[in-house]
Amino acid sequence: MTATTAAERAEIRTMARELAHRELAPRAAALDAGGPDVFAECWRLLVELGLDRVLLDEQHGGAGLGVPDLLASIEELAVGDGGIAMCVLLSNAALVTLTDEQLADVPAATRWALVPAAPGREVRISDGQLDGRVACALGAHGADGLVIFLDRPQSAPWAIMAGAPGLKLERDTAQMGLRAAGAASIEMAGIKSAVATVAVNGSVTTASVVSALALLRAGTAAIARGIARRAYEMALKYAQVRRQGGVAIIEHDAVSDMLAAMAVRLAFRPEIAVDPAGLAVEEAQALAAKIAATDAAVASTTDAVQVFGGTGYMVETGIEKLMRDAKYCQLFPEPNWVAQNELMRPERAGRAAVRAGFPARSRVPEDRGAPGSSPGLAISETGVPAALRRSWPAR
Amino acid sequence: MTSITQERSLSEQFPRLARNGGLDVRELERLRARARRFAEEHVRPRALEIDRRTGEDPGWFDWDLVRAGGEHGMLGLLIPRPAGGGGGLATQAAVAMEELCAACPGIALIFGAHALGISPLLLGGPSQWDGVLAELVASERTGEPLLMACAITEPEAGTDVEDPDLLRRARITSHARRVPGGFRLSGTKRFISNGSVARWITLLMPTDPRRPAETWTCFLLDTRSEGFAVARVEHKMGQRACPAAELTFDEVFVPDEQIVSREGDGAAATTIVLACSRPPVAAIATGIARGAYERVLGWLQEDRAAKGLLERQHVQLALAGMEEEIHLARQLYMDAATELDHRALGGVMSHPGVRALGHVPASVRRRAPVRGWLASDRACDATVALLHRSTSERAVTRSLALSSMAKARGGDVAMRVTGAALELVGLRAGPVRAELEKLWRDAKLTQIYEGTNQLNRLEVYRGLCRSETMSCLPPLRRIHPDADGRARTNAEPRAYLDANASQPASVDGDGGRS
Repeated sequence: MTATTAAERAEIRTMARELAHRELAPRAAALDAGGPDVFAECWRLLVELGLDRVLLDEQHGGAGLGVPDLLASIEELAVGDGGIAMCVLLSNAALVTLTDEQLADVPAATRWALVPAAPGREVRISDGQLDGRVACALGAHGADGLVIFLDRPQSAPWAIMAGAPGLKLERDTAQMGLRAAGAASIEMAGIKSAVATVAVNGSVTTASVVSALALLRAGTAAIARGIARRAYEMALKYAQVRRQGGVAIIEHDAVSDMLAAMAVRLAFRPEIAVDPAGLAVEEAQALAAKIAATDAAVASTTDAVQVFGGTGYMVETGIEKLMRDAKYCQLFPEPNWVAQNELMRPERAGRAAVRAGFPARSRVPEDRGAPGSSPGLAISETGVPAALRRSWPAR
Repeated sequence: MTSITQERSLSEQFPRLARNGGLDVRELERLRARARRFAEEHVRPRALEIDRRTGEDPGWFDWDLVRAGGEHGMLGLLIPRPAGGGGGLATQAAVAMEELCAACPGIALIFGAHALGISPLLLGGPSQWDGVLAELVASERTGEPLLMACAITEPEAGTDVEDPDLLRRARITSHARRVPGGFRLSGTKRFISNGSVARWITLLMPTDPRRPAETWTCFLLDTRSEGFAVARVEHKMGQRACPAAELTFDEVFVPDEQIVSREGDGAAATTIVLACSRPPVAAIATGIARGAYERVLGWLQEDRAAKGLLERQHVQLALAGMEEEIHLARQLYMDAATELDHRALGGVMSHPGVRALGHVPASVRRRAPVRGWLASDRACDATVALLHRSTSERAVTRSLALSSMAKARGGDVAMRVTGAALELVGLRAGPVRAELEKLWRDAKLTQIYEGTNQLNRLEVYRGLCRSETMSCLPPLRRIHPDADGRARTNAEPRAYLDANASQPASVDGDGGRS
C-alpha cells in the first residue's frame, strides 16, 4: 500500500462525515439508550463502507488505508456518535494485532475490541493461560472477539473469540459515556487463545504493544475532537436563535466568550504525529494529543451545556450526552493524569540513566527505531503495522 | 484521614455564627447532625438505585424518602416557628443541604425545591402562617407530607426572569388575567423542580404581559385546581430523584387571598428569594464536591485496586486541592448565608412586632376577625413597610451579590472536584466509579439553576464591583387594579423602579435603614 493522497483522504473524510450526519447523528439518542437493533444497523452501514477494517489490506477484507485515514474517519464518525466511533477504533486496533492466519479465521463483519489490561494488577499469565478480571472494558459488550492487550512488564496480546471457555462477560450497566461502545467486565479463567493457530505468549515486543496503545490514544484524541466539533456546532446554532434580554444570546459576551473558547480549542489541532509518509504514529505525541484533545472536549462540551442552560441539561437535546462522551474519552485508555505520567516516563528514565552514567539513547529498544526516525506504529505495504507483524510468530 | 468538616464544630469554623445572637449555634449543630444521620441512613444507600429508576422513568418518585425526611425535620426548616416549623433561613437550609448533597444531590433537591416553594410565603408575613404553612406542618406530623414547588422559568424566559432588568425585555408568554374575586392564570412553566409532585406551588406571572417587571406577581396555586396540568416530566442528566416538570395553566382560577404579598411585588420577591436560595444552592454544590472527595478518599484508603496510589504526589496534590476548594466554597456560602440572615433579612424575622404576633396562640390568629385583618391590604402594606424599616435595598443587593458569588464559585468547585475525583479513580474503579459519575452529572446543574453562573457573576459585578443598589424591595405604594380589572399604569412604582435601576448605592452600607 502506498500512502493515500490528500484528495483520497478528503474523500474518505467526506464519506464518513455524510454517514455521521445522515445516519449516526439522528440515531445518537437511541444508541445512547443502548438499543441493540439500532447499533446493529449502524454497524452494518459501517461495514458496508469498510470502516471496520480501515487498516487491513484487501486480502483480509480491509480498505488498505493508513492511520491518518482511520483517524480522519473516526473524527467524522464521532461528530455523529462518539460511541460508534470508539467501536470502529477498538475494532481496527484489535484486528491489526492479528496475524494473517488469525485474520483468515475471523468472519467478515465481525466486531472486535482491543482491551488494554495491566498484568499483575488485572490479569496474569501462568502456564500459557490467562486469568484475571478487567472492569469496564469499552466495546467488549456484544463484541465477536477480544484482544486482551497486556501492558508492561509482560507485554502480550491475547486474541479470544466471544464464548470461549473460561471467558465471562457482564454488561456494565452503569456506563455513563460512549454508551454505543458497550462496556463489560471481563472475567477470564484459564483462557487459551481461541483464535486458531495463535501462539502469543511472550512473543510480542514492548515496542509493538506501546505502538498499539499509541493508536488507541491517537484515535481517542480524534474522537474527542469530533465530539467537541459537534458541541460547538450545536451551541453556536442555539446561541444564534435563543433570545434572552431582548437579543440572541450570542450577543451576550458571557455566551460569545464561551463559544470563542470552543472555537479556539478546535483551531488547535493536536498534531497526532504521523511520519512524512503518513504511515506511523509517534507515541509521545499520541499521548500529548490524547491529553490535549480530551481535556479540550470536556471543556467545550461543558461550555456547550452551559450555553444551552437548563435546556442543555435535558437528555432530549442531546448536548449533555456529548459531555458524558467527552468525559469517557478523558478516562480512556487511561485517565489523563496517568497519561501525563506515561508521557514523562522516558524523560524520567533517561535522566535516571544519565545519572547512572549511561546515555539515554542506549535505553531505546532497537525495534523502535533510532532517535530521530519515526518510531511507533509503522504501517506496512499491506496496511498492517509492520512492527506488529514482525512481532508475531513467523508465518 | 478525616475531612475538616468532621473535625471542627460549626462555631469553630465560622466564629461569626457565635457572635451573632440571632442564631443558636448549638441548634445548628443539632440540625447538621440530624441531616447527616438522615443522609447516611436513608439517602446514600438509595441514591444509585433511585438514579437508575428515574433514569428509566423520570416520573418515578420515592415518597418514602420524603416521609423519612419529614421525620428528620427536613421539610419544615424554613417554616416560621409560629406556624410550627424550624424557623430557619438561609444558614439552616445551607447546612442541611451540604449534608444531604454529600449523599445524593437529587434527593436533597426534593427538600431544597420544597424550601424554595415556601420562601416567597415568608415575605407574605404572618398572614401566611396559618394557611398553607400550617397545613404543611400538619401533613408532616400525620406522616403524609405535602410538598411545595416554586415556578418561575418559562419556555422563552429562563435567565430573563431571574433578573429584574432582563425581566423588562423578557418574552413572557404566561398571563394572570384579573377576574372578579381573583385571577385566571394561563401559560406554561418549565423545569419546575417538584412540579409534578407538589401539592402547592408558588408561581410568578405578570398581570400585564406588556409590563412584566412592573406587574410580576406571586400566586399560591393549589395543584388540584381545574385547568392545571403536568404536561411532562423531563429526562434530566442528573439530580434525577427530584422531578423537573413542565406545567401548563389553562385559565386556572386563583382567588385574591392567594396572592402572596401584593400584586406587582413579584420582581422584588424574586430578587429576595434568590438572595435567600443561592447560599443553599452553593451549599448543594459544596456538598456534591465533598461527597466526591470523601468517596475518592475512601476508595484510595480501602480499595485493593488503589493500592499505592496514595503514595503518589499527583494524588496527594489532587486531594489537597479538593480539600482547599471545598473549604473555600463552604466559607463563601456560610458568609453569604449569615449575611442574609443577620444583616439583610434577619431584622424582619426578629422584629418585635412579628415576634409578638408569634406568641399569639394559633387558635386566636385563626379566628375570622384576626385572620381577616392579617390578610387585608393594610396588613400587606404594613409588612412591606416593616421590610423597608428593617433592611435596605443596598443590604439586600449586597446580600444577593454575596449569595451569587458563593453560588457561582460553588458550582465551579463541584464540577472541578467531581471531575478530578473521577479522573483519579478512572474507568476501572468498580462501584465507586458509578457514584462519582453520578455526582459529576449532578454537579453540572449547579452551574445552571438559580441563574446561570454567568448571570450570578454579573450580579456580583453590579452589587459589589459597581456598588449598585437594585430595586429589590417591594414599593411602599401598592399597584391597584383598574375598575376593568387590568393593572393600572402605576406611575409611582414604575418611576421608583426606573429611578433605582441604574443608580449607585444611596443608602447606608451597613444593612440598616432608619
